[in-house]
Amino acid sequence: MSIRRQELSSKQLALILLLPSILIILCVVIGPLIFAFYLSFFKAEPIIGGISTKFIGFSNYIHYFLKDPLFWSSVRVTSYFTVVSLVIELILGISIALVLNKSFIGRSFVRSIILLPWALPTVVNARMWEWIYAGSSFGALNGLMKVLHIFPADYDKVWLGFDVPLQNIPLIGNFMEWVGASTALNMIILADTWKVTPLVTLLVLAALQTFPDSLYEAAGIDGASSWHQFWNITLPLLRPVLLVVLVLRTMELFRVFDIIYILMQYSIRVVGVYTFETGMKFLNFGRGSALSFLVGLFILGISLIYVKLLYSEEV
Amino acid sequence: MGIGKARIKKHMSRIILYVLVVLIVVWTLAPFAWLFVSGLFPYKELISDRTTSWFPENPTFKNFQAMFDMSSHIGQRFMYSLRNSFIISGSVTIICLIFGTLAAYALARLKFPFKNNIVMSLISIRMIPTVALVIPFFVIIRTFDYYLIQANSNFHFYDTKINLIILYVTFILGFVIWIMRGFFLTIPTELEEAARIDGCTRTQALIKIVLPLSAPGLVATGIFTFLLAWDEFVLALVFTKTTNSITIPVFISALGSQYIHAFDQIAASGFVASLPPIVLALIFQKFLIKGLTAGSTKG
Repeated sequence: MSIRRQELSSKQLALILLLPSILIILCVVIGPLIFAFYLSFFKAEPIIGGISTKFIGFSNYIHYFLKDPLFWSSVRVTSYFTVVSLVIELILGISIALVLNKSFIGRSFVRSIILLPWALPTVVNARMWEWIYAGSSFGALNGLMKVLHIFPADYDKVWLGFDVPLQNIPLIGNFMEWVGASTALNMIILADTWKVTPLVTLLVLAALQTFPDSLYEAAGIDGASSWHQFWNITLPLLRPVLLVVLVLRTMELFRVFDIIYILMQYSIRVVGVYTFETGMKFLNFGRGSALSFLVGLFILGISLIYVKLLYSEEV
Repeated sequence: MGIGKARIKKHMSRIILYVLVVLIVVWTLAPFAWLFVSGLFPYKELISDRTTSWFPENPTFKNFQAMFDMSSHIGQRFMYSLRNSFIISGSVTIICLIFGTLAAYALARLKFPFKNNIVMSLISIRMIPTVALVIPFFVIIRTFDYYLIQANSNFHFYDTKINLIILYVTFILGFVIWIMRGFFLTIPTELEEAARIDGCTRTQALIKIVLPLSAPGLVATGIFTFLLAWDEFVLALVFTKTTNSITIPVFISALGSQYIHAFDQIAASGFVASLPPIVLALIFQKFLIKGLTAGSTKG
């Protein structure tokens, strides 16, 4: 009897504790999401006092899959952004973590300042790099290139330009053009990587510190080279944290908006920018909703992988 | 001979290590340092050839002062957006911590039906891109405001801080619940059980035992929330217009135009605007790293 009362009060308490959060999330996230799904089947435009809607079935979705080349080019450019950023972030993040895991004078200082780029607001980061990339003689990167004699003294590169690097090499050049990998996009990848790599570094570093030294000592006695140690001991042990980073970062990279919109407005159409343009610039709410839904579904798919990984790897 | 070689090798690897460390430090600090130094340039020197002019000949704090000068248009906008960002991020942090902690406790400790489903859906919600929510939000808020105006109400949602606070709370709340749940799971249940045997109720045990123990988690989560709210751009871009509600990201993104470089203003205001998050992150570093790991790896 008393056990049953305990059970009941536990459920009631859970309800009381969860209710405010669930209500907030239901009303302000789930509600609008369902509304967006509903809108995606309509031709919806703003009129005074709301919107005019006309039911058009799956036309919005069909439009994107069959008729709209911009949609596919935005998928390509977003995929390029995501994959290239991920590769650089992982390699750089792991390398920096391995260096910072060694003992050296001033290690705790270096470990603290590593957080700085991560804490910088995205908008400040975007405009800071815009200034560094300034395409004239007062841009810091152009200045640096000239000081290092990589560029001749009278040459200034437009870093946020639309020319495609490696354009003259067959196949690679064609591929770069096909995905829309302009110089501007590559420079934005660099700027974004600068901000996010510390996160990868810190997560990897935290994992590295939990590894027992005895593992490496044994390998050292066995005469394994450091490359072997990394490949056969460190990397397999890092697998769980790397998987988490991989999935989390894929989701965040795929929905990128801020830095690209601030630096290039609508001229590099990643999926996020294209959605925003359709919905908020052309006020085509139905089509914009359909696009948001496609993006949302994709990200939901990745997040399900994430959940699966967490439950199989960590617990 | 062999020993000498080994020593040289050891020295070499030390030297390489320090070179790498210096490279990492320069890579991390140089861009931000350049932003600060740029803020010290008078405008004329700022727009000059970089091969010769890396430091201002006549360094000045004028750019920074201009941002805090309430008599100028730009200073006024900056001060108001700074104020709005503090009010919005602060409120969002407090609201999210209160509701999020309660929900997280229930999800970490209590047994009830559909628990796993709720946890799963929280993770998924946290992943929804804000760009995808902007369109329904916009339509709903437009419609609300239309009827509010029809009803001669003084209150409306567009261009108010309250609107942004509500929207921010929703997309950050799931995140807060998720991280706090991770922290609660690391606190051993024995302590709570002992307290309850001594006659505490669940609520008392929560307030007297669990909350004090999870204080580091609360600090970390609070800072995360603050940083997320301080950083948010899309929603603020769509739903703010005047000094009544514009936030720092919107202010900084709007500086300059097609015809005018405003890099002196961008450098000064950008530096000032990044100070609160950077100072918070550096002071509470240890908690943050713990939170990052707890939030992203603990199932």
